[in-house]
Amino acid sequence: MKFQIEDVTVYFPYDNIYPEQYSYMVELKRALDAKGHCLLEMPTGTGKTIALLSLITSYALSKPSNPVKLLYCTRTVHEMEKTLAELRFLHNYQVKHLGPSARILALGLSSRKNLCVNPRVVSAENRDSVDAACRKLTASWVRALAVENPNIPTCEFFENYEKAASDAVLPPGVYTLQDLRAFGKEKGWCPYFLARHMVQFANVVVYSYQYLLDPKVAGIISKEMQRESVVVFDEAHNIDNVCIEALSVSVRMQTLEGATRNLNRMNQEIERLKATDAGRLRAEYNRLVEGLAQRGNLPIGDTWFANPTLPEDILKESVPGNIRRAEHFLSVLRRLVQYFKGRLQTENVEKEGPVTFVASINAQVGIDQKMLRFCYDRLHSLMLTLEITDTDEFLHIQTICDLATLVGTYTRGFSIIIEPFDERMPHIPDPVLQLCCHDASLAIKPVFERFQSVVITSGTLSPIDLYPRLLNFNPVVSRSFTMSLTRDCICPMVLTRGSDQLPVSTKYDLRSDPGVEKNYGKLLLEMVSVVPDGIVCFFVSYSYMDGIVNSWHESGILKEIMQHKLVFIETQDVVETTLALDNYRRACDCGRGAVFFSVARGKVAEGIDFDRHYGRLVIMFGVPFQYTLSRYSRHDKRSKLPGWILSHLRDAHLNLSTDMAVHIAREFLRRMAQPYDKNGAMGKKTLLSQEDLEKMVNGVGDMLF
Amino acid sequence: MSRKESNDEEMQFNREEEEDDEDENGRGLDAWERTYADERSWESLQEDESGLLRPIDNKTLYHAQYRRRLRTSSAARIQKGLIRYLYIVIDLSRAAGEMDYKPSRMVVVARQAEAFIREFFDQNPLSQIGLVTLKDGVAHCLTDLGGSPESHIKALMGKLTSSGDASLQNGLDLVHSLLNQIPTYGHREVLILYSALSTCDPGDIMETIQKCKASKIRCSVIGLSAELYICKYLCQETGGSYYVALDESHLKELVFEHAPPPPAIAEFAIANLIRMGFPQRAAEGVISICSCHKEAKVGGGYTCPRCKARICELPTECQICGLTLVSSPHLARSYHHLFPITPFDDVSPSVSSDPRYLPKNCFGCQQSLLNPGNMPASCVSCPKCKQYFCLDCDIYIHESLHNCPGCESFRHSKTGKRGHGVLLKAEEKVHYEAREPQSNLEMEKRSRDLRKGESPQEIDLQDTINKEIKMNHLDEGKYQVALRRDSTPKNKPEFIAH
Repeated sequence: MKFQIEDVTVYFPYDNIYPEQYSYMVELKRALDAKGHCLLEMPTGTGKTIALLSLITSYALSKPSNPVKLLYCTRTVHEMEKTLAELRFLHNYQVKHLGPSARILALGLSSRKNLCVNPRVVSAENRDSVDAACRKLTASWVRALAVENPNIPTCEFFENYEKAASDAVLPPGVYTLQDLRAFGKEKGWCPYFLARHMVQFANVVVYSYQYLLDPKVAGIISKEMQRESVVVFDEAHNIDNVCIEALSVSVRMQTLEGATRNLNRMNQEIERLKATDAGRLRAEYNRLVEGLAQRGNLPIGDTWFANPTLPEDILKESVPGNIRRAEHFLSVLRRLVQYFKGRLQTENVEKEGPVTFVASINAQVGIDQKMLRFCYDRLHSLMLTLEITDTDEFLHIQTICDLATLVGTYTRGFSIIIEPFDERMPHIPDPVLQLCCHDASLAIKPVFERFQSVVITSGTLSPIDLYPRLLNFNPVVSRSFTMSLTRDCICPMVLTRGSDQLPVSTKYDLRSDPGVEKNYGKLLLEMVSVVPDGIVCFFVSYSYMDGIVNSWHESGILKEIMQHKLVFIETQDVVETTLALDNYRRACDCGRGAVFFSVARGKVAEGIDFDRHYGRLVIMFGVPFQYTLSRYSRHDKRSKLPGWILSHLRDAHLNLSTDMAVHIAREFLRRMAQPYDKNGAMGKKTLLSQEDLEKMVNGVGDMLF
Repeated sequence: MSRKESNDEEMQFNREEEEDDEDENGRGLDAWERTYADERSWESLQEDESGLLRPIDNKTLYHAQYRRRLRTSSAARIQKGLIRYLYIVIDLSRAAGEMDYKPSRMVVVARQAEAFIREFFDQNPLSQIGLVTLKDGVAHCLTDLGGSPESHIKALMGKLTSSGDASLQNGLDLVHSLLNQIPTYGHREVLILYSALSTCDPGDIMETIQKCKASKIRCSVIGLSAELYICKYLCQETGGSYYVALDESHLKELVFEHAPPPPAIAEFAIANLIRMGFPQRAAEGVISICSCHKEAKVGGGYTCPRCKARICELPTECQICGLTLVSSPHLARSYHHLFPITPFDDVSPSVSSDPRYLPKNCFGCQQSLLNPGNMPASCVSCPKCKQYFCLDCDIYIHESLHNCPGCESFRHSKTGKRGHGVLLKAEEKVHYEAREPQSNLEMEKRSRDLRKGESPQEIDLQDTINKEIKMNHLDEGKYQVALRRDSTPKNKPEFIAH
């Protein structure tokens, strides 16, 4: 369908549209007009993605002189593919109606692991080793050597791509990662480098959050993006976590040992170089004296992670004299590693600010703040000079330098935490030194400054007024949309008492109480016997989930649950969890029934649709409220729930005990199993056709606002 | 006895009672508490505008659902499968022991199954039923296909215990192997009364479902607690229906929906001839050996027209020659399914609020169509004769009577004075009522009650059916009938001389 929102003709590839999709587009359009940032909450499953894509592409089409570019950020590769598939559908529709003038270039960008077509490279097991394997074949010095000695292997796809030079372009169209690989294979060009090159010219780029938020990656990929771009963060309810993680570093014992190995290896290289090619070290020294940390424009194959600090915080000075010489720098790093090792010997949890930490480093091993700050640049330069290609081996020393640079750069918003063991297993020493970023607004600040519109959207952004404060920005539009349903098919309940009428809670001081754990177990047990197919349980953290599942196992509750349904548990391992999810789905499909234990705001089960019979009941053991220091009172807490839940939450369902909740669930499920009129009863339209929309816009119907 | 003493005694008595309660306090609730906790009688009340309590009015809801069913099922004249082979699968797993239906799910299910079996044979005299139970993960064949309601009911009532898991796959596999043997003209159906919320299967249930689909077995499920995906999928794939019961009366409705024959499956719908025998009733006082019970009996019974064996009950298949044996009333009673009366139209309040057009009474039962307070209640009208009926009569006419009283009386009185189409003026109506004090419906109801007690041989067939099938051409025992299940009005059943 095709309709008008103010001056923009929106091409929407479906015949019907939900009213909330329409109002979502209206708000979005206003934000784009105002060239400001916006915050939009709309429930999952109401078609956010297509509404976003169709409005923004239509908006770009309506302003051909100065089209906006869309940078669409997703959290997972799976979501990226889904988004691109939807975009292709939309694009085909637009081309059908507008002809070839509507053609755009849209592509997804991911790591080499997902894009590489060279069978020798992509067979490596993880992302870092794929990157390293690629560098081994494509680094400029490797290629230079290969010109003289044909026995040195290079990547034929990269060579072809380099040969084609400016001819290597993608024709307009929508490319998923799969399509990029197919295109690369067909042409013999490296899809990864081709995609990275084309990102600058594309109308729509779909990639991961990190490419914009993590300065280490953003510095390479997103440096050249124009200001007239719309940045969309989809499923952004934990964008603050991504921001914080982008600037956080943790160092373990293994890291330090690896770093020592790295330093030894570099030392050998330096010695070798001194003997064979002392000129190269000399040249590097001269460059550093002149104040050039980088070698200017690097060939595309040589780029490595960029500086971990934000672009505006990078010092544009020359490297301090006492780390200019390679040997000196190595000895500084050695002392630093030694210092960290000493700190990790602690018996207690320690916490200190960056300033005291830097002061203590200075006092104990004589490394001042400026030297720390230049660690990253100096290391980068040295690695290039030494022509090291197996970057995956050198991740350890790189982590150390990242930490040093960050701690040397920032004095506020960070803290150093040293823990001697894991909270869950206090008898096993596993010391970890963490540099934690507390301020989510740091990492996202350059994004807000660089781009004209940033859209943050998700199914759950509540409380919606918290995000502007967390991320420190002023949205021009901030709205939460509800869901129009043909019938009340959501029944939220708040459980406060167990079957023995004692209060239950996931408050920290109550949660490990055996009575509370038993009551939660009873709740689940009762629920599995009245709810068909799939049940999903969310816990507030992995440690809490482990604890409670253990206690259920010991008391035999888990076994009783298994009589009704199979139990699957999310772990921190992606492969394991994917397998568990797969089997969970199968158990739901074949009628056996299953329970899936997952962690709210966890990383693995993010973005998985527990739709239809895959999620007949969701139990939240504790609500993952966005952590704020102030404590909400119960009523206040309630208003922090997303609007679409709140609108279905009846007062009578606010203070239930287990048996009441089970009864309500049973009655609700019976009611939901009754056949109903899909067109919506009582004249409440939930799907609008083109005519309905036109009528509405002309002011005939005012059912929306 | 002084007052104090009696008080003391009472207190003591009370105390004892309390102790007893604590002893048998299994679930942590007293028996009286349990009835309230489980039944929640207060939830079936609602407040009206003036704040008075009244029971929640489910009647309109039920009626709306009934109307929807009517629209979907009896749209126009569709071919129906009159010869049905139905297996009723009853879930007797652990979940059937739950007490959300009183006294327990399985008792309620058995009660409804019993009523259904009787109703089924009443409506489908040519069909057969078998019973299968699911228990402890296995399926067990309780009774083989047969036409005698009593034997099924007896077998079912003797087996009412619940334990273990239910396995849908095992049940379907068993039914599939049993139904695969029946002749191709018969319609294969399974009705599953499913209490459990999961199925514990030995293999891939999807394969079994595809197998059932390939064998044209129509599987329907009635759930007792919530919608289960696999059941929905099964019904979708095999063309059955899936409903979940709200309470016992709803369950009854849902079960009874399966009594009238479903639309024929296209592949089976080609008209073909079926060989049938119409046995003659044996003379009184004749001693013969009964082929079904293998013993000598005096009088009664029927004689197979082909092999002359003695049979006790109809309809059945002859034990000796395998001929399908029916009696002509059986056929006649199956017949009305082919010509359902058209669904009545809802009368919108705007039309019925116009005082001139307002019919005061239901044409069927003569009860007032007005709610207390003279507000017009919802009613329906027949699109042919334009008479108004109340909702109860609507259901009765469509589900039991199968004739529209309005149309019938209109037809009878074409030569008479009354029946000017839509409206009778007040005087005329009074006159008409005076002349005919008994409404048509009441008469029909009474005649139906009378019929119930009589043997099928003596049933006085309904007028209309007599008109449609020329029954007088039928001489029992000498004819075989070929029933064309293609039921456009032109293709009335043909009877072919044997």
